[in-house]
Amino acid sequence: MSTRFRINGQRAEVDVPEETPLLWVVRDDIGFTGTKYGCGIGLCGACTVHVNGRAVRSCVTPVSGVSDTEVTTIEGLSQNGEHPLIQAWVETQTPQCGYCQPGQIMQAAAMLADFPNPTDEQIDHVMSGNLCRCMAYIRIREAIKLAAGRMRADAGEDNPGADHA
Amino acid sequence: MLKFPKSASADSDTPDLGRRGFIIGMAGAGLTFAFARSPLSLADPTGAAAEGAFEPTIWYRIRKDGHIVVNIAKAEMGQHIGTALARIVADELEADWDQVSLDHVDSDPKWGLMVTGGSWSVWQSYIPLSQAGAAGRIALIEEGARQMGVSPDQCRARSGRVIAGGQSISYADLVRSGGLSRSFSEDELKKMPIKPASERRLIGEPAKALDIPDKTDGKALYGLDAKVEGMVFGRPLIPPTRYGATVKKIDDSAARDIPGYRETIVLEDPSGTVPGWAIAIADSFHAANIAADKIEVDWTPGKTADIDERAILDRGRELIDSGDAGVVVVNDGDAKKAFAEADSTLEAEYITHSALHFQLEPVNALAREKDGTWEIHTGNQWQSLIIPTLAEALGVPQEKVVMKTYMLGGGFGRRLNGDYAVPAALAAKALGKPVKLVLTREDDIRFDSLRSPSVQRMRMAFDGDNRVTGMEHHATAGWPTQVMVPDFLAEGISGGMYDPFSIQGAMHWYTVGANRLRAISNDLANETFRPGWLRSVGSGWVNWALESFMDEAAHKVGQDPIEFRLEKLKAEGKNAGSSPNSVGGASRQANVLRRVQEISGWGSEMPADTGLGVATTYGQERNMPTWTACVARVHVDRKTGRPTVEKLTLVTDAGTVVHPDGARAQVEGAALWGVSLALHEGTHFEKGQVVDTNLNSYTPLRMRDVPEIEMEFVDSTEMPVGLGEPATTVVGPAIGNAIFAATGVRMRALPIRAEDLLRVMRGDSSAPRK
Amino acid sequence: MGRTLATVLVVVLIILAALFFLIRKPSIAAVETPGASSFSAEQVERGRVLAGIGNCATCHTVNEDDPYAGGREFPTGFGSLYATNITPHPEDGIGNWSREAFVRSMREGVARDGSYLYPAFPYTHFKNLTDEDLDALYAYLMTREPVAYTPPENALHFPFNLRFLQWGWQLLFFSRDPLQPDPQQSDDWNRGAYLAEGAGHCTACHSPRNAFGAEKKDKAYAGALVDNWYAPALNTEQPVPVHWDSDTLYDYLREGQTDYQGVAVGSMGEVVHQGLERAPDSDIRAIAIYLASLAGPEEADGVDRQAGQIIEAAHERTDGDRGYGENVYMAACAACHYNAADNPIALRAELSLNSAVTAADPTNLLRVLLQGIPANEGTPGVVMPDFARLDNRDIVELAQFLRKRADRPAWDGLEKRLEELRQQTGTAAPHQGGSQ
Ligand code: FES
Ligand code: FES
Repeated sequence: MSTRFRINGQRAEVDVPEETPLLWVVRDDIGFTGTKYGCGIGLCGACTVHVNGRAVRSCVTPVSGVSDTEVTTIEGLSQNGEHPLIQAWVETQTPQCGYCQPGQIMQAAAMLADFPNPTDEQIDHVMSGNLCRCMAYIRIREAIKLAAGRMRADAGEDNPGADHA
Repeated sequence: MLKFPKSASADSDTPDLGRRGFIIGMAGAGLTFAFARSPLSLADPTGAAAEGAFEPTIWYRIRKDGHIVVNIAKAEMGQHIGTALARIVADELEADWDQVSLDHVDSDPKWGLMVTGGSWSVWQSYIPLSQAGAAGRIALIEEGARQMGVSPDQCRARSGRVIAGGQSISYADLVRSGGLSRSFSEDELKKMPIKPASERRLIGEPAKALDIPDKTDGKALYGLDAKVEGMVFGRPLIPPTRYGATVKKIDDSAARDIPGYRETIVLEDPSGTVPGWAIAIADSFHAANIAADKIEVDWTPGKTADIDERAILDRGRELIDSGDAGVVVVNDGDAKKAFAEADSTLEAEYITHSALHFQLEPVNALAREKDGTWEIHTGNQWQSLIIPTLAEALGVPQEKVVMKTYMLGGGFGRRLNGDYAVPAALAAKALGKPVKLVLTREDDIRFDSLRSPSVQRMRMAFDGDNRVTGMEHHATAGWPTQVMVPDFLAEGISGGMYDPFSIQGAMHWYTVGANRLRAISNDLANETFRPGWLRSVGSGWVNWALESFMDEAAHKVGQDPIEFRLEKLKAEGKNAGSSPNSVGGASRQANVLRRVQEISGWGSEMPADTGLGVATTYGQERNMPTWTACVARVHVDRKTGRPTVEKLTLVTDAGTVVHPDGARAQVEGAALWGVSLALHEGTHFEKGQVVDTNLNSYTPLRMRDVPEIEMEFVDSTEMPVGLGEPATTVVGPAIGNAIFAATGVRMRALPIRAEDLLRVMRGDSSAPRK
Repeated sequence: MGRTLATVLVVVLIILAALFFLIRKPSIAAVETPGASSFSAEQVERGRVLAGIGNCATCHTVNEDDPYAGGREFPTGFGSLYATNITPHPEDGIGNWSREAFVRSMREGVARDGSYLYPAFPYTHFKNLTDEDLDALYAYLMTREPVAYTPPENALHFPFNLRFLQWGWQLLFFSRDPLQPDPQQSDDWNRGAYLAEGAGHCTACHSPRNAFGAEKKDKAYAGALVDNWYAPALNTEQPVPVHWDSDTLYDYLREGQTDYQGVAVGSMGEVVHQGLERAPDSDIRAIAIYLASLAGPEEADGVDRQAGQIIEAAHERTDGDRGYGENVYMAACAACHYNAADNPIALRAELSLNSAVTAADPTNLLRVLLQGIPANEGTPGVVMPDFARLDNRDIVELAQFLRKRADRPAWDGLEKRLEELRQQTGTAAPHQGGSQ
């Protein structure tokens, strides 16, 4: 079975069994290894990618499910690490072993689309699905807020009031 | 397998992802278009600059372009170790930090013992790397002086230049001129003086870790990312018991029509590392994975197939009860007499349940033979330990085995034990082609070298004035070192060998009168699973008993728990400390304790059902003390029994702090590990295996349960010591003690479960004794 | 003894034979397949829209390359039925059916050859269609590509395999009278009723059926299990805490999702994205108005506040729970489904409001958990992974937690239902560790 989709702006067509998890297609067949494997049952978030801009756990997503979509992995989130989240991650020196971080960043990027000005509670609920075994949580939270503030500023929103007011 | 459309369609605004070398020839040669460099090296390996480099010691080279590449023989697993080590070198070398990069090296006997653990890295490397840096500086100054026509003592070095009065010359120019060839013998290096603390320019100053950028954009390569040409994938079929199982029959008929599935092989393992293993082999991991699910294996299990957690704990109790089991490690004064003459005594038993590593990257390894040498591509913390085993398994001399180092998706001690590399190597040998072995999460857990369940009995003797006159501590658990590195066992006072890592934390700096410490190996644990070193190792569970018990003792005599401890941290006799590692001894532990008392709000009024608890430690080893104190603020919900850690206050004296932000990160991570092990993790054995194999039921701390953390480091220029673990050891007992302060209920088992706490609060049972 | 039995049998057979002749319907002569030119373009287009509203393709198509060629299996309590080929193929399809034969089948449930059709084919609704609309449908079908394909024989158990018994069924449960407009109601409402009760045959799925497979008239729109999906109640008993109104129904039927009630998946996903998609906005609006009226008068406003309160309460229950299912929820679901109380986002389907969670039956939730939602179903472009690899305890506890979180009573028999659905969807529970 062949499935077509776009990945990081490029077209891909893979000829693998349709139930093959997107994770292994992205990593082993296409070669974007930034997306990681942690639990394989959708409970750690290490494998988070975007499908049409929304965060998806690729280890439990059959490749057939993303047919005709745009998949983005950490490698495609920004060209030269200029994404505000990546910069914030470096600035706050968030990663320890780093293994969870591509998933954390992809999840955070998708979250900020829905919650541009997230509260602690919102961050905790949305990000608790992403396990960090090194427990870099404090910095992850800090980096998200740093990036969110900058992204709002860039979007010309000079009044960082609460969301959805 | 992978097809891409032949030409870009009209809607395609970017070029197609063409079929390029997705599978590469060598792990070092770059992966896809996104990667142009070797897996771990942060140095640019390309370019002629590498030629003609100046290499005064094995630890670094200065290239003709002035670039300094520091060789890192420690595993990078989140501690940014390369940055800390390179800064030690660069400080003495007076290098320009912007020119420094790292090269994580492959295994080679020249690096000496290759092990990353025990929070040892900075402590062990500080002096040798400083000396290596100083050596290079001296050579560069000599050559600079020669070229500038001045005497060396008219010169100084700064930021990659040798300076004499108004003139200066860069390291790059010096290397380019080709006049540098000096190298230093080990003896010369050992005598090399290092700078006084006041001259430090990089150590202790803020710096960004060099490994971090690649960990934010997907470039960092972990063992899981290793690829070589022609490799096949394997997923193991792990037998029902860790030892003694044999394969009776394999039926792979249900797997045969899986596209890409090749075969299932049963491993013959001369090293005895993976008895009873079979591996499903396929062209993709996915195929191997689903094939393994469908393959039926009939095993004859080993004799531990029915062992459960209780049996292991009961065996521990039995061993403690039998007075002659185990090894006496400390025997100060006459404890027997102290107890015989005591006016009162206190006794308590503490247990900890099995705890898993759950490093986020499940273990994996890629093995191949190339030109007569076996290459093992993987992340590993103790290359020197597993290479002899690999050689034995493969039937080749040790020189024929090389470990290629990748980033570790978490170590925490799991990858000290490189047993997972053995089945990969055996499979590659059996098949005659490279094999990439990937364990699923469930496989990883079932094969984990977990932290053994432990039982400890604590006793204290008091005189008529409630002064402590004697103490006894009996600790039993599975012993990793006995099972895996008998050479590292230490000799006990009573004769017999003991695992120093399984009793560390108990050789405390309290002056308590007579003191007897006994370490006991739990043989049933050792037989049932392969005990492992888990972050903070012995101290992680030993200190749970010690510091909970100190708290119980303080309450028994009606003294403030901090005052009670301070009174015993006297820094006299054996607790006075010694140079270079433990200067100040117990007084430095008293100091962090006093400081945490000041900044944690100790003694202030708490809201209902909320309490503060304290714990302290010297960390991992008496000879490398990291003085640590912690106060936890915990609220207990009386309806559900659920404890919530609201805040942790930590004070650490780790001597010189080389990389301050990295140090903070280590303490943050270690402290949260402490919370996780105390309240969120823990599993148990049933039928010879742990019951929790994934995140559905094994539940490490997640973001929403992270407490506020306040931390402080003591300003110090003493010997730098380890930071990766000590904070883990204080948090559990601080939480237990805070729960007591909040509720009056004493919990003596880790993890502390809400159900148990609720039961005890309701008076339904005494503290659980599982 | 033997003689008496034989006599009885003979008598019964005679009666049955007599009945057979009595209730037998005449066959209508075969005709030459009418040429495409015999239909106007407008007629065909109108037929196309109606076929969309009637969602004919979903039942009569197995393979997208051969639309309307039939063959889809409908497992029922009486055995399996297979959809017929309704392409204009003269032998395999309905190519030799005259208009009269077609209209008779749609209004009376009788095939061209005079045999009775089973009411899985909803002629009980299609009878409401006007002549004009039936002509349009006929025109549309007759202008499809003929496909040579004979669907499998029905496999019904005795005696349900005796088609003539449908005569009795019709006698009991079927009236040929078409639906009459309600002069009390608006034109839109009447248009909506016509579409929903006619071509759309909404109650065919959304109403429970009696032991004979007939819709229970007194339970119209009370919700029912169909094809292993649960069609939730749309009447006053609808389970969603924020009741449907004409606007949300419009959004749902048009786009397949709403902020408060959820996303159309499974059979309903096909209805929205493959069928209703052809209908003009005005028809969708009309259907929405009609269906909304089933739940009683619309609440003027305050819906946002009501939803916000429910979400807030759900958050509190989450934080206060900390049980096994809650852990799974936080690890697996919250990242995508957590919502701010004052701003639930349709793409983050809020589970305390969602009909899959609030429905009386757990099927939809379990199926979505087991099968996920591919990007080309449900909300277009949005994919939900499947969680079939979780084990039964995980899913059961998660489902019960979600019920608790939405303040609904626990579902009974979850584990059993989950096992059944695993069987039916081919999503076996994981083989823990793969090598026990
Ligand atoms: S690997 Fe996909 S969620 Fe853990
Ligand atoms: S940084 Fe190691 S798991 Fe998150």
